[in-house]
Amino acid sequence: MLEKEPMKIGYIGPLTGDASAYGVDTLNAVKMKVEEVNAAGGIGGRQVQLVAEDGRCTGGDAANAARKLIDIDKVVAIIGGQCSSETLGAAPIAEAAGIVQVSPVSSSPDVADAGDFIFRTYPSDALKGIDIAEYFGEKGYTKVAIMTENTDYCVGIRDSIKAALPEGAEVVFDELTEPGVKDFRSLITRLEDMEFDVFVPNAQSDAVLGAMAQQMREQGFEQPMVSQDIADSNNLPSIAGEAVEGMRMFNVSSLLGEEARTEGARPFAEKFRELHGDPQQNMGFAVLAYDAAGVLLEAIAAVGTEGTAIRDYLYGLQAYEGAAGTFRFDAKGEVVGIGNVQKRFENGKIVEGVVTEETVEETGTGADTDVTE
Amino acid sequence: MQLLINGLIAGSLAALIAAGLALVYGVLGVFNLALGQIVLVGGYATWWFCQVAGLPLFLGIPAGLVTGGLVAWLTFILFVKPFYKHHRFLPLVTTIALSMILDGLILLLFQERPRSILPGMKETMLLFGGRVSSEQLVLIAFTLVILFGFAYLFHSTAVGRRIRAVVQHDHAAMSLGINAPSLHTLIFVLSGVFAAAGGIFIGIDQNLTPTLAFPITIKAYAAIIAGGKGNFWGAIVCAYLIALLEQVVVGIHWFGVFYIPAGYQQTVALLFIIVFLLLKPTGIFGSVSRSA
Repeated sequence: MLEKEPMKIGYIGPLTGDASAYGVDTLNAVKMKVEEVNAAGGIGGRQVQLVAEDGRCTGGDAANAARKLIDIDKVVAIIGGQCSSETLGAAPIAEAAGIVQVSPVSSSPDVADAGDFIFRTYPSDALKGIDIAEYFGEKGYTKVAIMTENTDYCVGIRDSIKAALPEGAEVVFDELTEPGVKDFRSLITRLEDMEFDVFVPNAQSDAVLGAMAQQMREQGFEQPMVSQDIADSNNLPSIAGEAVEGMRMFNVSSLLGEEARTEGARPFAEKFRELHGDPQQNMGFAVLAYDAAGVLLEAIAAVGTEGTAIRDYLYGLQAYEGAAGTFRFDAKGEVVGIGNVQKRFENGKIVEGVVTEETVEETGTGADTDVTE
Repeated sequence: MQLLINGLIAGSLAALIAAGLALVYGVLGVFNLALGQIVLVGGYATWWFCQVAGLPLFLGIPAGLVTGGLVAWLTFILFVKPFYKHHRFLPLVTTIALSMILDGLILLLFQERPRSILPGMKETMLLFGGRVSSEQLVLIAFTLVILFGFAYLFHSTAVGRRIRAVVQHDHAAMSLGINAPSLHTLIFVLSGVFAAAGGIFIGIDQNLTPTLAFPITIKAYAAIIAGGKGNFWGAIVCAYLIALLEQVVVGIHWFGVFYIPAGYQQTVALLFIIVFLLLKPTGIFGSVSRSA
């Protein structure tokens, strides 16, 4: 009899409120995985039952949700939270109870040190700064100008760029601006007597980032621009026009899940759209939630329902063949294998993928110099 | 020179909003905390007329100004007029409510994404060693003309004298045959038009976002307080002064040694106002006789 009792898995995510789009997409994806596993006979003959709780994108609600899932529902493991605040809020409770928690899409650098039982399938924001700094090294940029909106996220990106700058490179202009301010003209005049190779508009919203880029170009600066995921916004060409043309940015690929990983299989995105329509936020979040559920259920199938055993299995995992890509976890539970890709604006559209030398000449440097005339 | 031009751009924007505020708060003595939202209404309405309905800019801008005036008129009729004679602080509460309603409506109608009335880069030209676009020149000139035109009207003509008479004493003015209630409405509508002009300015020069409303009114409050309550000239001049200060603060290499970090840009300007008011509490242009 006991053998047939369903095995409970918890889910925490923002199901109501401003961030609910993340919650809906990730919950749908997790459900997809659970249904697939159940259709194939469950785990060791037991069906998997998903218990979803609303974390409302806040630490407090996520902590309550974790408490309920662990104490009352007696879940084996938790998928979530989605917002970084949720993951960080629930982590101490999961950690104390010895319950593994896998967050699909939290990006805050703090998640790395949230605990031994805490994993995530999304790359940390700290990686973006490292990728940007590496790109500077590749291109031979040694004098960097950064304009940073004074928010936790942007300051974090700036600090990780500075820490990862290659030998011989330095930040020659490093200014924090008041959040929400969109008039940088006088600040930009300081750059006139300065030599710099590359400009980093580092803002919290595309509205501010667009203003930074536009005012730079309007003042006649032609240096290439490199930025983080806020620049990965289709609104930018419609507010800043050709000022953003040729700008590079680093973010998680938006093609995640669109291509089949194994020969002959259907891509995740196709199956998702069939069941749930277009994602409310983006397909990347859905496919990572699907993989977070997948890797967790694989661990449980392999070693059983005991928390420490699941944790050790995840740390020891060599490679998980997910729908988003092949990944594993490092010693801090950070994903290895799902990373940022370089994207750029080309003719007012965001393009990503491997850039051959030829296209760099045509669209990269070429566009940068054409912008101001 | 570039700093002066930048100061003029930022100052014109601040002055338009300060002018709107100077009219309702400075002249009429009524609080309108939804003024920042009327700024957005003007900007978004113009964006809509130009980018969605496809009107040319010279029709879209008047349409935006009319919308701003209209919303201000409705604000007055529904949220201010029934209350402000009972207690002058009542509109403080009602217009906060209105500002929340408008915030929600703007989000609903225009979404969270940023909007630009004139998208893309503007061609800049060199003028006396500073870079400026023709759009910015037009905006600056346009602002100067309407503001100084109105300031002249207000302080130096018979119509202006009537408005000031109503402000000083309603009943006395009415006994002299001045239609006080309709002048109150006129002042309110005009403040809406100025605010809308400010929103259009932002929409052309930068871009519009739904959360912009509150921060932009703070500088306007600083300007009218520093300029002397009830003094239209003072509010305008101080708006320009604060904007210029903000540009100078970050743009100048102080004593050839250091730059003030950009994060302090707004603080330094407001600090200046505080120091000034400590020295001259009636405001830079305020006189004791007028601050009744």
